[in-house]
Amino acid sequence: MVAGGNNRGTATRLVVLVLFVGILSALLFFFIGGFVIRGPESLTASPATVAQGNTPAQNAFIHLEVVGSVAAAITFPRPDDPHPTWVSYLPTTILNVPANSTVTLQIDQEDTPSGLRNPFWSQAFGIEGGTFHMTYFDDKGNPQEGDFSSIPDPATAAHTFAIPDLGVFVPLEGLSAAAPAGSMNVITFSFKTGKPGVYHWQCFVPCGSGTIYGNGGPMQTTGYMAGFLVVQ
Amino acid sequence: MIRPNRTHALRLLVAWAVLSVIGVVIGLQLSLPPGSQSQQSVDQSWLLKLMTLISTPVFIGVVLYILYSVFAFRQRRGLLEDGPPSYGNMRIQVAWVAITAVVVFILAGVGISELDAAATGTNFTSSSAPTLATAGSVGTTEGHALQVQVIAQQWYFTYRYADYSGVESLHLMLPVNANVVLHITSTDILHSFWAYQLGVKADANPGVDNVTYLTTLQTGSFTVRCAELCGIWHGNMADTNGAVVSQADFATWVAQLQKDNLSIPVPSYAPYYFPSPRVKGT
Repeated sequence: MVAGGNNRGTATRLVVLVLFVGILSALLFFFIGGFVIRGPESLTASPATVAQGNTPAQNAFIHLEVVGSVAAAITFPRPDDPHPTWVSYLPTTILNVPANSTVTLQIDQEDTPSGLRNPFWSQAFGIEGGTFHMTYFDDKGNPQEGDFSSIPDPATAAHTFAIPDLGVFVPLEGLSAAAPAGSMNVITFSFKTGKPGVYHWQCFVPCGSGTIYGNGGPMQTTGYMAGFLVVQ
Repeated sequence: MIRPNRTHALRLLVAWAVLSVIGVVIGLQLSLPPGSQSQQSVDQSWLLKLMTLISTPVFIGVVLYILYSVFAFRQRRGLLEDGPPSYGNMRIQVAWVAITAVVVFILAGVGISELDAAATGTNFTSSSAPTLATAGSVGTTEGHALQVQVIAQQWYFTYRYADYSGVESLHLMLPVNANVVLHITSTDILHSFWAYQLGVKADANPGVDNVTYLTTLQTGSFTVRCAELCGIWHGNMADTNGAVVSQADFATWVAQLQKDNLSIPVPSYAPYYFPSPRVKGT
């Protein structure tokens, strides 16, 4: 009787142990799997166009929006985002573009100025023609437009778009406080892609509100202020 | 007649001497990092070679003694008895400790000397304190060294040339045969500037002007990396476009950089940055 009881006790403990390990393994599997699967979606550049009138031929075109908080998006709302208060590029930061091509990027910049910690980044580098086209609002709220190689005042920058390995660095002018509600600065520029590969890109303005020196949160999370340019 | 333990010692000594000579000869042929692009990298390569040459006989001696003992003093098959008692040998122990101490102190002395040279610039051909350049000179004038500020940020390095109105560059370009003073700082968090082929690695901290010295010897490209884990894109904080170029090429390059920088609102040169204002952070 005693020996049979010990056997049953051992079997019970073994079953509990197997169940515990099994459940723990399943949780770990779903946690890791979910982390892998839940990455940001990718955005593929629109196909090439031919020149029409004053519009030059484009090998590829991508349209992005920059917002001070995801919840305030105008062009690319992301209602299910887990961080609606975070600053972000939208709709995503995983960009698929063709290799050995000219990519034109349009960025609707809706965030207010925060300034550049290093004024050097007010200059644009690595873009076609050395200039970007920008429609913006001056400090009186009047719409302005022009081609620029840098923004006039580093203190009025809101963000930057930088692909260090391609040598592309573009400052993004902050939306004037006098601009009409719901308006945006529109910055357009082109750059050349090289050989296929995955190139990291990011914002150089530490704009993670509420984090130490602004370098946490959206600055450290793919899908907000940094991502990948997938050249294929 | 030679006693048995003397026979073992003699065998070990001869084998150790022969293998050590072979090991040292092989060690002399090795091309050890970081290379010969700067005086600092030459010194470091020499230091590594010295350590290799000294440690090779030690390594061979230890391994040889273990292997010899395993075979020569193994228990014979079917023999069950204790080995002979061992009472130690004071002369061997003293010699072992003394030789080890001498080797360690020599290596420590040479290593500290090299570190001190990197920290104080005593490798410079000039004994004078580095000063800012006058027009046209790029690090070769007696008593002068080219001043370059390395600015780290998440996740990129830029470079300011104090001698040339504080112009800033995306890549580190240096003239050959020049004394260079690197002022390394950061605009945000802790980074580490590591120009591998130049033999230079130094912390980049906000609010700190960390100074290190460099004398370029050979033209060629080099890689700059961050050697301090500094966030999610730390692995991308690298630049393979650094280069040591001829004096003439450097003069041409820096003149073009000055033209390019005309449209950039460069602030007056400051020895370091603080991560402020705390933009959008609270």
